[in-house]
Amino acid sequence: MAPKFQIKAFQFSTLVKNFIIISIVTLSFFLVFFSKSDLYLINGVKNISSSVIIPITKVISAPINAFSNFVDEYNQFRSLKFENKILQEEIIRLKKWQTLAIQNSRENKVLKKLLNATDNNLILIKTASLINRNDTIYSKLINLNAGYEDKIKKNMSAINERGLVGKVIDTTSNNSRVLLLTDPNLSISVKTISDGIFSLLSGKGDGKYLVSSFVKESKMPRLGDIVVTSGTAQTFPVDLLVGKVTKVEKNRFFVLPFVDFENIDYVQIVTSK
Amino acid sequence: MEFSKFLNSSSKLNILLIISFSISANSFILYPNINNAFYVLFHLTLIYLIFYHYHYYLYFVAFIYGILFDILLLNNIGVHLITFISILLSFTLLRKYLIKLSSYQIIIIYFITLVIFLLFEQLLANLLYNYKINMSSFFNFILISLIIFIPTVFLFTKLDK
Repeated sequence: MAPKFQIKAFQFSTLVKNFIIISIVTLSFFLVFFSKSDLYLINGVKNISSSVIIPITKVISAPINAFSNFVDEYNQFRSLKFENKILQEEIIRLKKWQTLAIQNSRENKVLKKLLNATDNNLILIKTASLINRNDTIYSKLINLNAGYEDKIKKNMSAINERGLVGKVIDTTSNNSRVLLLTDPNLSISVKTISDGIFSLLSGKGDGKYLVSSFVKESKMPRLGDIVVTSGTAQTFPVDLLVGKVTKVEKNRFFVLPFVDFENIDYVQIVTSK
Repeated sequence: MEFSKFLNSSSKLNILLIISFSISANSFILYPNINNAFYVLFHLTLIYLIFYHYHYYLYFVAFIYGILFDILLLNNIGVHLITFISILLSFTLLRKYLIKLSSYQIIIIYFITLVIFLLFEQLLANLLYNYKINMSSFFNFILISLIIFIPTVFLFTKLDK
């Protein structure tokens, strides 16, 4: 009787193993197939990874983070004397600019009053700080410490003092994920300030430059032109600063964003009025 | 040292998987090679577990890490999940042939699998989610693999005693 029982038990365990393996493979293909859809299961998986897994990975990687910060601070300390000299020269230069800026600001206020122009077309939803970033391998993503409890919704724009940072692509109760401008999968409709040339920009893939994927009427901007959001696709509010044209080719041009993506600590989530 | 006695080598390798996953999923903007190195180390550890500690629980491990890597690095499920599951399935099919190979041949196959693994991920990211195949990033991964491969194998064999 004993050997017979063993054979049955063996067959049962192999059957269970095979069933589990087939289930996992089937579930994997289901998840891949419906990954881009808005299914409850997919959103649930994404929410768990943002709100539970990210804090855990942050705690585990804390020693490396501390070491990296220490090395960075040591390097900064070493270059302190040299930086001090540069900063002193910068202060003298900026003081001259400040006088000019105050004059221009006064002039601007007077002109705005004459034109009856409104100051801003943006509604500030929340100022959030960055909790971690995933922008080294593949996509360019950052995670923020504010979510739908702070009224942040999908597709809202993230900006900082320098200009457009990116777009909210996922929100959980207390976290949200922002796809940075430099990601190749984010397209923004822009226009140049000087000539009003409309085009579409997306990340080049190197994490630094944006490249045009479509230029209206094939009109190319000039080197140094300032690019702002056009507001035509209604994804981003109009007139948010994007960057500066740094290279123009026959059919495309390159833009260097104003935002320093390596030094983002806080962003503002905004939407248009 | 006393604590390590309670853990078998498979558990130690799983702890290493958790650590390398956590570090590769948190970008260190000043030192991106730290992320890349731990990303490669994760792949090395997973392949080592599949080759030398094969068990059907690895399907769960591959499934979970595949989803997490995809969501954290790409925001879409696909690339890592397909790669991890397909490498496990191919190993299950080819296991009877791999057993016949010598240890040196296995080591070479181990490295080749790693390279295929990394290349396959780049290709899938391009096909599924439009991420351009970044050859400089790929060669960076290969260079890191070349540097850390021998020490890692040495460490793993030490763990396995």
